[in-house]
Amino acid sequence: MEIPVVFLGGQYNHLIVRALKELGVSSRLVMPRITLEDLRGADGLVMGGGPYSVNDGMGRFGGLPEIIERAEFPVLGICLSHQLIGKLLGGEVVKGRKPEYGRTVIRVLEEDEILSGVGKEFTAWASHNDEVRRTGNERFSVLADSEYCGVEALRAHGRPLYGVQFHPEVAETPKGKDVLRNFIGICRR
Amino acid sequence: MGVFKISDPGEVEAFDPARFTEEKVAEIRRFVGDGKAAIATSGGVDSTVCAALAHRALGERLACFFLDTGFMREGEVEEVKGILTSLGLPLRVLSVSDRFMAALKGKSDAEAKRIAFRETFYTVLGEAARAEGCDVLIQGTIAPDWIETAGGIKTQHNVLEQLGVDTKTAFGFRLLEPLLDLYKDQVRRLAVHLGVRLDASQRQPFPGPGLMVRCIGEVTEEKMEVLRRATTVVEGELSRLDPPPKQYFAAVAEDDRREADSRMARAAVGPNGRAWYLGARATGVKGDERAYGRMVVVEPGEQTEPADLLGIVEKVIHEDWGVVRVLLRVDGREGKAGGYAVIVRAVETRDFMTVKPTPVPREMLRRIASRTMEDPRVGLVCYDLTSKPPATVEFE
Repeated sequence: MEIPVVFLGGQYNHLIVRALKELGVSSRLVMPRITLEDLRGADGLVMGGGPYSVNDGMGRFGGLPEIIERAEFPVLGICLSHQLIGKLLGGEVVKGRKPEYGRTVIRVLEEDEILSGVGKEFTAWASHNDEVRRTGNERFSVLADSEYCGVEALRAHGRPLYGVQFHPEVAETPKGKDVLRNFIGICRR
Repeated sequence: MGVFKISDPGEVEAFDPARFTEEKVAEIRRFVGDGKAAIATSGGVDSTVCAALAHRALGERLACFFLDTGFMREGEVEEVKGILTSLGLPLRVLSVSDRFMAALKGKSDAEAKRIAFRETFYTVLGEAARAEGCDVLIQGTIAPDWIETAGGIKTQHNVLEQLGVDTKTAFGFRLLEPLLDLYKDQVRRLAVHLGVRLDASQRQPFPGPGLMVRCIGEVTEEKMEVLRRATTVVEGELSRLDPPPKQYFAAVAEDDRREADSRMARAAVGPNGRAWYLGARATGVKGDERAYGRMVVVEPGEQTEPADLLGIVEKVIHEDWGVVRVLLRVDGREGKAGGYAVIVRAVETRDFMTVKPTPVPREMLRRIASRTMEDPRVGLVCYDLTSKPPATVEFE
């Protein structure tokens, strides 16, 4: 079982690798310029957060837009990568009016598989200036929101492509391990 | 595609201290060749373990320096000397606080202070190392250090390339960082393997620039003295919590508070509460970006436990996006008679990447405040209610 993690410069990217290893999966950090060809043999892919805005151009994201468009294995985007997925799937990304830094409460709207067993509400940590908004033409379902953020988790229509705005990889998100375990389960099938 | 692989962190289970030691001893010997190497140790776990490792490789060909920067805590210089001497390390103490004070004079910006500290540190160390005939510097940098420093998307494999520092040209030595792939918990296991005294390997983190980053704004002799005394009180009291917080310390800033508008106070602590701005700025991290912003002091109308106040940080920041820290007023004198504000910080964490404030009982905070205010220069004592993010653990 091999799930690489894309390094986008975020503070917690290496904690994703650590969490996956603790869950028994082989993992490593890879750079954004990676291609689908490089990822042959991977069972899934997690993309981390980073200090950028998707509205400042796609240059920093290398091969990720194509991977998001065409990957046949499951993909999970966290924070900045969640916003990248949201934008590519027809949502818009805007500066949050009430940005979240630290503790927030995630409200589950639709469990899907990724949020299976985490309960109706759970505490998570988030750190973001931008957020995903629906446009009416988006090609994803909203799986969770919070008091200040309308799209805390999403799933692409008809594909195992997920995004979460909060950080499942940090110690202060107690249900985060469950979310990652669910993702590993999805990759295993 | 090995070229895409930049690191392989987190192999907690697979880490074998004995094998690691064997490999690194060989690597250090190869790198240093027939020459001599220097290492600077602060007495913290990373640099002490690194010194023990290098000493195993090089013996008397290692010169171990301890820089007394003037930013150490009460009694710390003696304590660190004791730890390092007990390991049999060939220790040289450099008393260089004047050099640091001179370099920092007039600087109040956090980054400017850190850069001045770094330049002075390596200049002093380079002089001392060259005088001993060393051309290699060994340093105890660990994984989170360079992962955080990297920040942007760069593909280089080590922190020096990423910072663009050529140490040979800049400071006159080649650099070796044997612990670059390790995490803190792995370093602690290595410490046990190398026989580094447990009180050293379990000391709470203390930053390289020491009390400098807790002396918010410009550093002066008087401010440093106030901070050192407050540090002794805060560490003494909070170490009695069972279990003690993961990290706990005091910081100091000028008490130049001015009242915030009532909207801020109402949003934060209700109609009977009050809120003030401090003039000094502090560091934070918001959305993976560095933030350098203001601190707000709040006082609720009713006496409330800190544990019940953690939610107000978000409310304050939503009123003013420029705020990075929210502090609870514990006690203070009328007006600004004291001159200095002391801030108590205590946090809980697994790995220091995210932290939350320790719910220190109000009663204990009040005792800390009254003991701290025995120093007539202290006019205000606060408790930091901010998690990371949006604040960092340290203030600068």
